[in-house]
Amino acid sequence: MLEGIPIISIIILLPLIGAIVALCLGRHEKYAKWVALGFSVASLVLSALVAVEFCVNPSSSSSTGFHDGGDWFDYQFYESYPWVKSLGISYTVGLDGISLPLFVLTTLLCTLSILFSWDTTTRPKEYFGLMLILEVGVLGVFTTLDYFTFYVFWEVVLIPMYFLIGIWGGPKKDYAAIKFFIYTHIASLAILIAIMAMYFESGAGTFSMEAIGTASYGRTFQIIVFGAMFFGFGVKLPMVPFHTWLPDAHVEAPTAGSVLLAGLLLKMGGYGLIRVAIPTLTDGAMDLQILMAVIAIVSILYGAILCLAQKDLKKMVAYSSISHMGFVLLGYATFTQVGMVAGVFQMFAHGLVTAVLFMMCGVVQHHVGTRMIPSLGGLSKKMPVAATMMTVGFLASLGLPGLVSFAAEFMVLASMFDSWSLWLFLPIISVAITAGYYLWALQRSIFGPLTDKIDTSHVHDMNWYESVPVGLLLALIAIFGVFPLLVFKYIDPAVTIVRALLGVG
Amino acid sequence: MDLWNTFQAFTPQLILIMFALLMPLFDYLLKDKRLLSLIALAPLVEIMVTLIAWLFLGIWTPKSQIDLLEFNTFSGLFMMVFIAVGIVVVLGSPEFIRPDRNQGEYYSLILLAITGMTLVAQATDLIVLFVGLEIAGISSFALSGFRKSEKRSAEAATKYFIVGAFSSAMTLFAISLLYGAVGTTSISGIGEAIWSGSSWIEESQPIILLGTVLLVAGLGFKIAAVPFHMWAPDVYEGAPTPISALLAAASKKMGFAALLKIFMFSLFFIKADWEIAIAIVAVLTMTVGNLIAVSQTNIKRMLAYSSIAQAGYILIALPVGTQYAVAGALFHILTHAFMKSGAFMVVAAMGTVAIGEKLDDFKGLYRRSPFLAFSMTILLLSLAGIPPLAGYASKFVLFSSAVYGSFDPGPSWLIWLAIAGVLNSALSLYYYARVIKYMYMEKGQGGRIKVPPLLTVSVFIALAMVIAIGVYPDQVISLCKEAARIAFPLLPLGLP
Repeated sequence: MLEGIPIISIIILLPLIGAIVALCLGRHEKYAKWVALGFSVASLVLSALVAVEFCVNPSSSSSTGFHDGGDWFDYQFYESYPWVKSLGISYTVGLDGISLPLFVLTTLLCTLSILFSWDTTTRPKEYFGLMLILEVGVLGVFTTLDYFTFYVFWEVVLIPMYFLIGIWGGPKKDYAAIKFFIYTHIASLAILIAIMAMYFESGAGTFSMEAIGTASYGRTFQIIVFGAMFFGFGVKLPMVPFHTWLPDAHVEAPTAGSVLLAGLLLKMGGYGLIRVAIPTLTDGAMDLQILMAVIAIVSILYGAILCLAQKDLKKMVAYSSISHMGFVLLGYATFTQVGMVAGVFQMFAHGLVTAVLFMMCGVVQHHVGTRMIPSLGGLSKKMPVAATMMTVGFLASLGLPGLVSFAAEFMVLASMFDSWSLWLFLPIISVAITAGYYLWALQRSIFGPLTDKIDTSHVHDMNWYESVPVGLLLALIAIFGVFPLLVFKYIDPAVTIVRALLGVG
Repeated sequence: MDLWNTFQAFTPQLILIMFALLMPLFDYLLKDKRLLSLIALAPLVEIMVTLIAWLFLGIWTPKSQIDLLEFNTFSGLFMMVFIAVGIVVVLGSPEFIRPDRNQGEYYSLILLAITGMTLVAQATDLIVLFVGLEIAGISSFALSGFRKSEKRSAEAATKYFIVGAFSSAMTLFAISLLYGAVGTTSISGIGEAIWSGSSWIEESQPIILLGTVLLVAGLGFKIAAVPFHMWAPDVYEGAPTPISALLAAASKKMGFAALLKIFMFSLFFIKADWEIAIAIVAVLTMTVGNLIAVSQTNIKRMLAYSSIAQAGYILIALPVGTQYAVAGALFHILTHAFMKSGAFMVVAAMGTVAIGEKLDDFKGLYRRSPFLAFSMTILLLSLAGIPPLAGYASKFVLFSSAVYGSFDPGPSWLIWLAIAGVLNSALSLYYYARVIKYMYMEKGQGGRIKVPPLLTVSVFIALAMVIAIGVYPDQVISLCKEAARIAFPLLPLGLP
């Protein structure tokens, strides 16, 4: 159905056109949200079509734009155009099992975030324009197969997010915006230097991920360059001790900004590790395996313990992201089939779940006027729908069986047991802590007697543009919780290739 | 025949000088002084069109090379930078200097300064090089003092003159030393003589060394490399803003053109010691420039320090010493010319509607003039090296040349130049982002402002070039590689 159509480029281009239209609206800026919604829905629909058309077992049938990578990943919907010929740079995009779930997640979360921000009245044309530019950047990161373009998209993401935090953010937005911008920019520069080093060392004269990925490198070189990439992607992930930008940025960002930050931007780090760092620098990855595992476990535990201490609902959710993204890294570090598949799946799962959590924090802030847990209490009496959705969201995040996070985290822990047997007791502690802080927070804010610390007379339940996105996400969380295989079947063949490249498959 | 050749190689300068001499006459004849800028624009546009037809379209190739001047891709590229900055500056000037007297002389001096710069780009002889430096130098001293009743402007001119005279003296002394030691002032002649390794040259090695060091120091003033940078912020701040643009974007690049030419022969000479010294200067220049820029509250001073830092990046190319690195330097010189002149012209545009040059004056600019705020944002992000803008593409080539240099031809410490470069870029992002924050995230006072049309065009040219080169850098990179290959055929390629 999609044969011969540059479908990925169209999906990336649509939000860009939307952004330009939205920014050029001039005095009619109240229509910006409609423009944004229209273009993001168009991208979402097309990306859903791509997911349906994506052939899980491409060798058995003729698939659209199939690119046989030989030793490297097999891509579908492959497009390649030369860009800077004098340096061997091309614009190449394609999708495989690792990128597809994240690709669809991106168009989904962007659409829902735009819907969720329906009542934005301060500078709407910039707000929605920047959201769409952000979508372009993230989609580019997840699809591009050329290092130079990868870096370009990677950096393009920073600018709209800087503005989203800096203009529409909370009280400490100035500090948070600049800290986010510079912190993550430094991390990107480590990746840039690593890319340059690989470009020259491979001698391929091209920035194609495939050519650079299949060249061979010396061991010391691999360790150094993998270290640089691990740092660069790890800051985005984020991993302890490079996580300090995250709480500031998440807490100060507007709700939709936090959703995209946690739901998509963190995934870029995890995606970079498994798409380029690990399969390209296999020896380096093998040598730093223990380091990765240790940092992952520290992140899981440290993030969870910090959550216990938080009084701000949103800050708690922010710290919980550190803990949950630790599972992604831990899954990778096992280098087992189950672990790596679960690592990728955890990104998808966390994207859905954390979006719900941040949206619910936004709802509480918006309707009640504060997110500080000690001032809240008994909200279920005033806003029953919100209370229900929040409870389901929290339960999903703490890993309730039948919901999406359980499948991912359980598999990560199982593969951890496979690799390092009883060391499993370390990350498993976090399961208890996680349940602890979520349930405790629920108890203090949603249930119990109605608070008298703040005026709750004006509090009403969620608006339609808030409950529709959250409801949709909760439905997906349940569906993929019961049938995780719907996503696994995409990820599994791609991870097999990663492990073959690592020499452990 | 010979005369005709001479004439042809000298044509750009002839046209420029002719218009420069006629400007006062036009000033006398014309009532509407704004037309003066259009007249001054004519020779610049003419030369620009010829250069584009030659370098990009290949419609025409210059054949002429006479003893003292050459016409190749290297000199053509530099001429293009100077002329492009000239166009941006001249376009932006009439509305800025509307209240001033002696406008004819103003344009005369700009055209003369550009004449001097093009001479430097084309020179094959140290004497011509020196004459070019002087023509450009003396015109710019006068230009920075153009508003002579204004204290700051006069102070800037005085400072610039003293420093400039000092550096010229050093340069001239260096040339005389080299002439004494080698017996020629031709750049390639000096190179060949040193290369020949005759006993006479062996004996006069200390003199050649001293001459080279003095030459580099003299040119170090021109490019405002640390520790010769002190004058730049004061002068850029005090000079009329379009002139600051000319100084930062073109005059400084003239220093680089000269430095690269010197580098052609010194390259054969004591290379190992050179590398480390220049590398240290490069890292110092970028770090000092960026660190001081962070604390500036005057936007012109901030841009001045940022251009000191950018000179540090460009200097990376010399210790790396590959064709690819030189191509990176040329590329960054080109992109920096657009970024910096554009940024200064935004400040100039604000000056025409009586908005100051303080950082605070940028508060809420987004409401007052969306175009200026957007342009400034793009130009500053490009200066910081954020893709997909021109500054990123050129920094990419420059820094990656250092990375490759550390693998293949050169010593492994070259990688630290790339690391210093990227860390400095991150540091610079702090003060650029702060300006953007003031423009978009703070509430300002005052209503909407009307930007004069010619200044809008001037800023727009810079903006369009920054975006166009960033999105499609292919042709420009090829051209820079070609220029580096022609100018430095003996250097290693520097690409796998």
